Amino acid sequence: MDDYEPGPVPSPRPLDRFGFVKPELNISPDGLIKGRSACEYEREERRVRKWRKMIGAGGSDWKHYVRRKPHVVRRRIRKGIPDCLRGLVWQLISGSRDLLLMNPGVYEQLVIYETSASELDIIRDISRTFPSHVFFQQRHGPGQRSLYNVLKAYSVFDRDVGYVQGMGFLAGLLLLYMSEEDAFWLLVALLKGAVHAPMEGLYLAFSFVPLPIFVTEVGDGYFRWRWQKWVGLPLVQQYLFQFDHLVREHLPKLGEHFTQEMINPSMYASQWFITVFSYSFPFHLALRIWDVFLYEGVKIVFKVGLALLKYCADDLVKLPFEKLIHALRNFPKDAMDPDTLLPMAYSIKVSKRLEEMKQEYENKNGKTAESAECNEKQKQA
Amino acid sequence: MARRADEEYDYLFKVVLIGDSGVGKSNLLSRFTRNEFCLESKSTIGVEFATRTLQVEGRTVKAQIWDTAGQERYRAITSAYYRGALGALLVYDVTKPTTFENVSRWLKELRDHADANIVIMLIGNKTDLKHLRAVATEDAQGYAEKEGLSFIETSALEATNVEKAFQTILSEIYRIISKKSLSSDEPAPANIKEGKTIVVEGSEANTKKPCCSS
Ligand SMILES: Nc1nc2c(ncn2[C@@H]2O[C@H](COP(=O)(O)OP(=O)(O)O)[C@@H](O)[C@H]2O)c(=O)[nH]1
Ligand SMILES: [Mg+2]
Repeated sequence: MDDYEPGPVPSPRPLDRFGFVKPELNISPDGLIKGRSACEYEREERRVRKWRKMIGAGGSDWKHYVRRKPHVVRRRIRKGIPDCLRGLVWQLISGSRDLLLMNPGVYEQLVIYETSASELDIIRDISRTFPSHVFFQQRHGPGQRSLYNVLKAYSVFDRDVGYVQGMGFLAGLLLLYMSEEDAFWLLVALLKGAVHAPMEGLYLAFSFVPLPIFVTEVGDGYFRWRWQKWVGLPLVQQYLFQFDHLVREHLPKLGEHFTQEMINPSMYASQWFITVFSYSFPFHLALRIWDVFLYEGVKIVFKVGLALLKYCADDLVKLPFEKLIHALRNFPKDAMDPDTLLPMAYSIKVSKRLEEMKQEYENKNGKTAESAECNEKQKQA
Repeated sequence: MARRADEEYDYLFKVVLIGDSGVGKSNLLSRFTRNEFCLESKSTIGVEFATRTLQVEGRTVKAQIWDTAGQERYRAITSAYYRGALGALLVYDVTKPTTFENVSRWLKELRDHADANIVIMLIGNKTDLKHLRAVATEDAQGYAEKEGLSFIETSALEATNVEKAFQTILSEIYRIISKKSLSSDEPAPANIKEGKTIVVEGSEANTKKPCCSS
């Protein structure tokens, strides 16, 4: 994919149960003894049996079950999807399975025959995506190749979005649980909104707004409009706006401290939204968040973010600017325990306020979208 | 709260790292602040931040450095961080001509969003890849002179000139700051300009402001 020679196959280093190379510090004696107990295995197996029954062979009973008992499904998903069924269930709950079935052969077409303007951008980031995971480590290995294919296919499928840094972490996470083609359609389902509101706005470059005063004649009775760049990554900006307000409402003391220290969410939470916690969070936590994210939508990202801040608030309010930024990017291990953090997140209600603040954001930014409908060239009347 | 010795400084200078994606900004930063080069680094999403305290012209200066994502559409988020920055390190990759060609667009970005008197240094990184060099030193040097930028070539991998690059820009900032306060015996006034709390005279209350409120 580039002009470097293929690197040597990485020497075998200890991996965690998800395939990430363990940081050397972590190989402590107690880490070695600490396996899962027989009792835990049994419980896990019972859970898998329950899930299999709920899904049916190859997912055949799933829709029926969800329609009959959506709350049971939600409760079970919140407890975590069994790892061996995760890939399949993700495809079912995201709606990507249906997209795949409706579009046979499309993925292959995109990968093989189309070329993308973003190919070089993608290649540059391939080795910088989950660099510590064994699947993606080998230069030009199967992991890197499939990551490239999915991202390239998406950039062709949706040329407005193309490729954006951060998408690789979404695709990479998916590829650890499903085939290239499945991962591609799940990405489509998310960004185009198969089940929940589309998230492509997280990655869109910008929209253009014409400035009619600057119309100039370009000959032949055609006029060229001056266009003004509208915001990049518009949905990220909206989410950050909403999150900022939620912090102030749910954690007023911390919000006040943030104001004093001039901390805003773009300094710590952009990655949370752009990669749905897959960029730098412990992988087992990211997976649990993704289980809920795919079923319930993006509000879980807000809830988890708030829960993290809430859990650490007593420490955070004492920290000055630099330490605060550091702490917001390196949460303590106990805060990252899914069984502590997620129940806390579930208990935080955000839906109503999110909707209200979306309205507020749009009003504030004066939805000038209507005027953007003008053509670039307009025949003189 | 008593400040530990390593947190004492005469000045706090905010500097931004900008340039195309993949040119080595994050590794220049980690080389400078932690003396680390990471072959397995992740691409930067949004902004990152690091500091280092060092001696500049006999003063203790804390450099507060903001590293940004390089991809064009991230500028909507990253350009907020130019505000209040006293210096900018504009990095290109000496093996990738397009990253050098894009320097002029980055300059325009700075002129649109940063303070007018920001000190800009052009950095050609990855000089260790000698056989792949595609941007001549003289071309970049000439361009820098024309645009009034300082210029240096570095290798974050081999730690060549990284220290010097940061030292140079911080000294330049220092000289500008101290010129402005010639009339006073104090090293510098606490506030040079409204909205800029970069220059800090020891006081605890002022040690933190990053100056990007939007
Ligand atoms: N040979 C060489 N590679 C470098 C150097 N600096 C960075 N790199 C590599 O270039 C790639 C991009 O570096 P990174 O710091 O992430 O770039 P950024 O996107 O500008 O932050 C990584 O694979 C680095 O290992 C350098 O001085 N020499
Ligand atoms: Mg970077």
